[in-house]
Amino acid sequence: MMKSIVILIVLSLCIGTGAWLFFIRAVKRGDFDDVEGPKYRMLDDDEAPPVPEKSHRGDNYEK
Amino acid sequence: MASSDACIHCNLPIPPGDLVVDEIDGKELRFCCRGCQGVYRIITGAGLTVFYQRRDWHDQGVPAGAFEAEFNEAHLADHVTTHDENSAVIPLVIEGIRCASCVWLLEKLLVKERGIETVRINYATHRAQIRFNPQEISPASIFSSVSRLGYMPHPFTTGAAQEAAEREQRSLLIRFGTAAFLSMQLMGFSFALYGGYFHGIDPDVRQMIQYFAAAVTTPVVFYSGWPFLSGAWRSLNNRAPSMDLLITLGVLTAYGYSLYALTDGGEVYFDTAAMIITLILLGRLFEGSARNRSISAIDKLLQLAPESANQVGGEEIRTVASSCLAPGDLILVRPGERIPVDCRIQDGESELDESTITGEPMPVVRRQGETVCAGTLNLSTSIKLRVERVAAESFVARMARMVEDAQNRKAPIQSLADRVATLFVPIVILIAAGTWAFWFFSNVPHTQALLNAVAVLIVACPCALGLATPTAVLVASGNAAARGILFRGGDILEMTARIDTIAFDKTGTLTLGKPTVEQIIPAPGQSEEQLLQITSRIESGSSHPIALGIMARAKLAGIITGAAESVETIPGRGLRMAGKSEEVLVGSRTFLSEYGVEIPSVDSGALTEVHVSLNGTWCGVLLIHDPLRNEAVHAVSSLQQCGLQTVLLTGDHTDAAEKVCAQVAIIDYRADLGPADKVTWIDAQQQSGHKVMMVGDGINDAPALSSADVGCAMAGGTDIALETSDLVLARPDLVRLHEAIFIARRALQVIKQNLFWAFAYNLVTIPLAASGKLAPIWAAVAMASSSVLVVSNSLRLGRMIRRTFSVAKQPASN
Repeated sequence: MMKSIVILIVLSLCIGTGAWLFFIRAVKRGDFDDVEGPKYRMLDDDEAPPVPEKSHRGDNYEK
Repeated sequence: MASSDACIHCNLPIPPGDLVVDEIDGKELRFCCRGCQGVYRIITGAGLTVFYQRRDWHDQGVPAGAFEAEFNEAHLADHVTTHDENSAVIPLVIEGIRCASCVWLLEKLLVKERGIETVRINYATHRAQIRFNPQEISPASIFSSVSRLGYMPHPFTTGAAQEAAEREQRSLLIRFGTAAFLSMQLMGFSFALYGGYFHGIDPDVRQMIQYFAAAVTTPVVFYSGWPFLSGAWRSLNNRAPSMDLLITLGVLTAYGYSLYALTDGGEVYFDTAAMIITLILLGRLFEGSARNRSISAIDKLLQLAPESANQVGGEEIRTVASSCLAPGDLILVRPGERIPVDCRIQDGESELDESTITGEPMPVVRRQGETVCAGTLNLSTSIKLRVERVAAESFVARMARMVEDAQNRKAPIQSLADRVATLFVPIVILIAAGTWAFWFFSNVPHTQALLNAVAVLIVACPCALGLATPTAVLVASGNAAARGILFRGGDILEMTARIDTIAFDKTGTLTLGKPTVEQIIPAPGQSEEQLLQITSRIESGSSHPIALGIMARAKLAGIITGAAESVETIPGRGLRMAGKSEEVLVGSRTFLSEYGVEIPSVDSGALTEVHVSLNGTWCGVLLIHDPLRNEAVHAVSSLQQCGLQTVLLTGDHTDAAEKVCAQVAIIDYRADLGPADKVTWIDAQQQSGHKVMMVGDGINDAPALSSADVGCAMAGGTDIALETSDLVLARPDLVRLHEAIFIARRALQVIKQNLFWAFAYNLVTIPLAASGKLAPIWAAVAMASSSVLVVSNSLRLGRMIRRTFSVAKQPASN
């Protein structure tokens, strides 16, 4: 009984630590710096809009 | 605004004569200039037409013509951080971002550019990080790609203060995250221990769980709680007890006692220690994020002036750094460029957008011999300027220093909780010491004496006391934010509640800053329509705000005229049209008098007069007025009903101030004030014991905003005003000011109630603990219930605010 409790507690601590490390990484990467933008960005479609075929304008806007 | 006469791209009315018609996909599209047409083609060409449905623009962006500047490779190179030869990063600030769609558009279009790898734009700060391949694209061509889309990029380097603040905020977030994660683990252990207390538990299991609890609490106390520990140390050094000291005292005794109990087989209080730290860190996190934005204000001020200038030496024009310019140098500023340093105009005349400096939205005409300020935008023609002051001494730089001074001079607002702590900490320590002394000399074991003293410290722990302010502040500022009122921190909320004087700026704050025709007085024998007809025919070609006001009035009267030919603009004075059979003059009294027109005296009050003459005879006058905000009268009177003194501080002349005061029932006004005079006035008021709020919108208000106890700006004001203010109204609606004061006052009331309850709890439990009669579990129950009481009282505040304003909204709007 005692052993199983210890194992479970240690396991939960390990999982928690994993989540915590993930959080630290996110903060360090600056994911929390702009909390205003993402709520709008999520409304944007991710699908890349079709780039028009060759045209006489905006030549340098095509990759 | 009718869509038929607005530019498809920029949404601004199309000045007649400038109309550009283009046919794309068989549809006829109308633009106000070639620039807008070009941008539209770029955007639609990239398949991003959806931008036009998505955008949500309320204010104007960068004025057209701001994009002709060349970007200087050498200056930009200083800002680039190179990682390796294929990857470099340039930070920049993008001017003209108005909504999330602008961010979307820029990110989508820029990554299509060859050589640009990633684009990350922060919507809140308009800062961008662009990672690019220096082999394929140069910083200057990145900049011109941004400006081609109608946005103005500025290279950007963060100030040291701001960087420190950002690091601070990040470390606070990590501390809180760590505390929250460990506290959650700890709660699990504590529940097992609570259960064990009531139903019995195997002593071995209990001890093991207690060890785990100790293991997770230790980092919370010493890592997450570090800001409190160091704050407590500072306050000990300064001999000024603060909230930090009280928190530390509670946390350390609870933690230390639990460690002792761990070896002794007693009850542990690790959860108390960890919870205090976690909750109070959460409160600080919210405050910090609101406060952080104001730090960049000064940086932004200085960034207004461009870094390079075109120096004229003989025949050639060289690009030099603005900081190299010395008084006496001659420089050239083209339309669309900002003026780099304070100058005097040597040659030419032009319209300047000085709104960043004055907050006045109207372009101002500056001609030979007049001085112009760094950071203002040249709109119409190229001008040659003689440098007056070096860059570090420019008006903007001096203003930045004034703001900085005011911020430093302003004593930090001591919050109610801190003042309470000053009293409370010594008392608690005295009682604990007394308890120990009493038991030490009684017939009990010495350890018992120590334990009783520790019990006093633990029950006096500021759980409820610590929660009293942050919860109320959180609820109040959350509800206020939902109503478009942003308090920058809890101390501001408390300060707003104590305000007794409100000083208003005039233009743009009490008035709209958009001129309209107030009255039409035709000459005898003429009708209003005839007068409007003549005037609008001339004015239709002008984009001056007064002309727009007149055109709007003419349209209202159903008068439609074609653009007149051969209209001559005499900047700052009026318009003259000399046709074959007629000569029409429209402009100021002096302008018409110069042409020999006789004008009878007109009772114009404080309004601007626009006189009209036809072939040398006076036809009448239009009186132009910058109207009050609709809600100004109502808002000011409701503020006065709250017992607040209202004062008008304006840079405008006395007549105009008097007129506005009469309308909004403000008795006290000060006219002809410069930025420094406003600060002086506010300081004088503060000296005599008043708590002053300043409401303003321009850069000239910025020093006053930061030196006032509470500076308040409304959306639509200049960025600098918004950022130096403590209180921001997200909607330009003065009624919100009254709401802000109501919310602040209620919040302060709730904070006081909370503190009262927290003390009442201490009043009962401290004597019990001192007498050694308080069983640990009852101490815990009492502590929890007092916290619940305090939190629910704060939540009541939220309901109160919502109820008051959902009912009060209708009468407030008329």
